[in-house]
This record gives sequence, C-alpha cells and structure tokens, in this order.
Amino acid sequence: MTLSSTATADRIYATGLRNQWHPVVPSRFVAPGAMRKVTALGEQWLLFRRSDGTLSMLADRCPHRGAPLSLGRHLGDRVACWYHGVEVGTDGTVTSVPGLPGCNLEGKKLVTSLPVREVGGAVLAWFGDEEHPEPAELTLPDPLTDPAVDAFLCYAEWEVPWRYAVENLLDPMHGAFLHHESHTMFAGDTTAKFRIRETDRGYFFEKTDQRGVNFDWVELCRTGVDWVDLSIPYPPSAGPGGPFGIVGMVCPVDEQRSGVFFWRYRRVEDWQRASWRFLYKTLIEERHWEVLEQDRVMLEAMPADADQRENLYQHDLGVVRLRRLYRAEAEAQSSAGA
Amino acid sequence: MTDTWPYLDVHQSRTHEPTPYEYRLAATLEQVFAQEGHELADVVRGLNARAVHTADGTPWTEESFRAEMNRLGD
Repeated sequence: MTLSSTATADRIYATGLRNQWHPVVPSRFVAPGAMRKVTALGEQWLLFRRSDGTLSMLADRCPHRGAPLSLGRHLGDRVACWYHGVEVGTDGTVTSVPGLPGCNLEGKKLVTSLPVREVGGAVLAWFGDEEHPEPAELTLPDPLTDPAVDAFLCYAEWEVPWRYAVENLLDPMHGAFLHHESHTMFAGDTTAKFRIRETDRGYFFEKTDQRGVNFDWVELCRTGVDWVDLSIPYPPSAGPGGPFGIVGMVCPVDEQRSGVFFWRYRRVEDWQRASWRFLYKTLIEERHWEVLEQDRVMLEAMPADADQRENLYQHDLGVVRLRRLYRAEAEAQSSAGA
Repeated sequence: MTDTWPYLDVHQSRTHEPTPYEYRLAATLEQVFAQEGHELADVVRGLNARAVHTADGTPWTEESFRAEMNRLGD
C-alpha cells in the first residue's frame, strides 16, 4: 500500500529515498493526547501521541474503506475512523470493528506503522519500503548529542523539491552572493576554488583557499539519516563562543514541497551559553530567519526544469556529486523491487 | 498549533515577546560584546558604563548578570 518497492526510480528521486530515516515535523507539532496529519515522501501519514508522550506514525488510511484516519477520533491508545468507527491501535492493528463485532479484520495488522525517534525537537521516521520495514541503524548528528553544544531548531516549509533544498546546502558559494547583505555572510571572497574530500560517512565540499570567513565548507553526512554540517562566523556582537554551526536536514514532503530543518548550534557553556540563548531569542533568530528567507525566495522562484538546462562550473562539483549519489540510490531501490 | 501549509514562523524559540527591558539589554549587550570584549568582567563593566542596569535599577555584578542570563536564556 505505502512506499511500494516497485516504485520507479523517477518516482523515488522525486519523492525521496526510501529505506532511511527522514525528519517529518517538529515534535511540538503533536501535543500529548493529540494527532496530526502530515505528508512525507508523497504519502499521507498520521502522527499520534498518547497522553504519556509516546509517539507513533501510521499510514493515514483506514484499512476498511481507505478514509483518512486523521479525520477520526483520538481514543487514548487508538484512533477511531470517523466513517464507520473502525478502531486502529498505534502499531497498526485493527482493535475493533464496532459495526460488526468479531469481523475478521479484528486483530490483524493492516495499517503501516513507521518506526519513529525524536531527536533535538524533531520527529524522525524510518521510511522503509515493503521489503525493508525494519529500521537500519541511526547515528545521530554529533552536534545534537554533544552536551557542550547548545542548539535551537528552526523549521520551515518551502514550495521546493527536496533535492533543491539539499543542493542549496551543498553549494557554499551562494553565501557570498545571495546572503551578501546578511549579518553573518557579508565577508569573504567572491571567487574560490573547491575540492571534495571523502569521509567515512559522506564527503566535505570545501574551499581550498578560505576558511572561517563565510559559508566556506559543508559536510554531507549519511548516518542512517542524511544531514549536512556547516559553520558560519558570527560577528563579535554575538559574544563569546566563536562561529555558529548548522545541522541541516530536509523532509521530502512530495514532488513539489519540502520541510527544512536547521539546528543552529554553538559550542558554549555556562553564562556564555545563557547569553547566546538570550540574544538568539531576542534579536538573532529574526536575522537568521531573514537569511533563510533569501534561500526560500530564490529556490521557490527556480523554474521546474532548472536542473535540466544548466551550464555547471567548478563550484558545482558538490551538487553534481550529490545528484549522482541520489540518482544511483533511486535506481537501485527501484530495481531491488523489480 | 496551526496545520495549514506552509509553516513560516520567524520566532520559534521564544516563550514570550521580549519586554522593553529585555530588548534594551540585548541591544546593549551586543554593543558591549562588539566594543569591550567577551570576558565576563568586561561585559559587566560595559553594561554599567552605559547605565543599562538590572531590572530593579541596581548596577550589575558578575553574579547578578550570570543569574539574569540564566533566567532569560532558558
């Protein structure tokens, strides 16, 4: 039913790679005792949280006639479909068919239920296809688990294919142009040479002749979830602690839309941590938002065939590499089910 | 919590709109960090020199500044 292993490579490339973890929405979007409809990888899902905080994620589709469970009622540990009252537990098992007690749907696990984890204030889910329902190992981004690092999550929804949102992060040179009028990326050369440096979890794409001035490097990390790590200098007015880092992830919502997750982090402790947090909430967050809006405005205005009619140059090696990797994986995932 | 697409919210870290006192303290703190340095003693001296005092009007000490940042930063 969902995330079919017979999907074509084009479909997978357009709606997000299967068999890995992806971020879905911020945790705060689903309060205890509440549920929320979400779209991810081109499919409809239901996030369901018990009052004790336990979260589950179900396909948003009643196993009876296909009505959205998200229109139903939260019954504490189950959801009751509004259409005919069919009750589904958080593991996807039909617990009751009120209209026909004893019906053979009862006790069967008929609704896809995705494994979920909550990390740094975001919901991550395992999007396995039919052949890979069991989650693979997930290694969390180190800046989000290091106690000496403090992070704020910023989440936004863009009318942009997921690949464009990731490609934007593998393209550091845009910082010196698109973000030139910003509070953090006004400095730095407008010419540069880049190189790719392999790591055991992905690769760096970095300037060879400048570091610590603008958006000078980025690391793509594939650790069960795809994320990028990068560093951007802060002006002295932001106080002690040096540059701020960004852990970025992208949720492929559907072919046209993305949820972007940016954890702004800084290596700060004690009063330095507290003063950064105070300044961030009061003044800095809004400035970061303006920078992010520059990305959104540019990416949303890109033509649909932007990546079909390009003339790339040396600065695009990081993007080319990314596309090759994702395209190959989409091909492999489609043929695996053939 | 709205569930209409798209979610585009400038402020996601705040628990409240900052008060005039908080805005003034933050803006002055940025000025002090830029002009006086990043050591705690510099910061306290810089704030007091600019007559931007604690909420009850007394000059900052390292202890009171630390306590106030912990309150406002969490």
